[in-house]
Amino acid sequence: MENPLHPFELHQLVHLSLFGLDISLNKAVLIMWVVVGLAATLLVLGGTSRRLVPTKLQSLAEMLVEFIRGIILDTMGQDGLKFFPLVGTLFVFILFSNLLGLIPGSYTVTSQIVVTGVFALMVYGLSLVLGFLLHGIKFLGILVPPGTPGWLLPLMMPIELISQLARPISLAVRLFANMTAGHVILGVLFGLAITGGVLIGWLPFAFTIAMNALEVGIAFIQAYIFTVLTCVYLGDAMHLHGHEEHAH
Amino acid sequence: MPQFESQFFSSLMFWEVVSFGILLWVLWKFAFPPILETLETRERKIRESLEQADRHRADAECKMQEYEAKLSAASKEAEALLAQAKERAQRLLEENEQRLQVEAERIKGNAQREIEHERRKAIEDIRNQTTDMALLAAEKVLGRSLNDADHRRMADEALQAVAENYKRSR
Repeated sequence: MENPLHPFELHQLVHLSLFGLDISLNKAVLIMWVVVGLAATLLVLGGTSRRLVPTKLQSLAEMLVEFIRGIILDTMGQDGLKFFPLVGTLFVFILFSNLLGLIPGSYTVTSQIVVTGVFALMVYGLSLVLGFLLHGIKFLGILVPPGTPGWLLPLMMPIELISQLARPISLAVRLFANMTAGHVILGVLFGLAITGGVLIGWLPFAFTIAMNALEVGIAFIQAYIFTVLTCVYLGDAMHLHGHEEHAH
Repeated sequence: MPQFESQFFSSLMFWEVVSFGILLWVLWKFAFPPILETLETRERKIRESLEQADRHRADAECKMQEYEAKLSAASKEAEALLAQAKERAQRLLEENEQRLQVEAERIKGNAQREIEHERRKAIEDIRNQTTDMALLAAEKVLGRSLNDADHRRMADEALQAVAENYKRSR
């Protein structure tokens, strides 16, 4: 039976290096380019036909934009809209990566921990920079939930610190693990379908069809979760204690 | 796990940042503004249309009330006019009747007076003619002329007789 982790293996295709940094091309990089090209084409083309009664492509693009705008307005409020380009691009990039990874023979960019990690660190770092820029040293107050009695501070601050540090890690690991697990399950089921032969093999094969449908849903949901949490963290940094703490 | 093979980390990170940067720039510059603008335009259009529709409906309702008020006023006016006309016609009728009656009375009175007058004149005429005829007859019978005093006496006697006769015959 084939190793279910085989789809995640990368092989160097073209060797490139920039000032000593290895930036060789591999399958994941190529798929990233496809993601960028596809997303840019869809949204730019959808944006250029500014009809009042939208075309199909325009409808799709507008649906995406409206969806992202809804997320931002729900979590950050009106003044969160200045982060729209960043949050929107993040959502589109992750969504297209997740969906493209479902095409057999393709590669799931977001199943690389380093890719999700960069996004998570970028988002969390931005929230920290934003918080300190807006509130100065008072931003450290994010470690003290509102209404905490003074004698609880020595206990609460370490807990809050851990919860804060867990944010980027959970953000990165959630997306990576979901994408990886889905493909591993699909790989295992396919392996079973092949080794089971015609007599038994149809059962795991039927499961792969259902799993694939589920994976499409998960691709959407994970992109959504990543975006919502991004908005929540940025919103926390913007309105210190203005919103309730969101569960991870 | 193949995902933890660190030999690919640098290229993945580099290309991720580059791709993300390019996508961010392209979407920021060329995709999001027109889409957001279109959405806002549509939103505004819809809101305006709804407001306009509301306004039009309010206008229509207002106009309708106005028309209904006008209609009821007109119908009231018509009723009033009709009643007035009826009353006037009735009054005219009564006046006419009264006037005709008065006129009739007057004509009747006139006729009666005239008849009376004519009757008196006739009686006078008859009396004068009878006197003359009697005088003529007497002259023929007596063969001579009587004096005036005789004439008068005999005429009066004759007249008396005629009058008596006339009274008896009536």
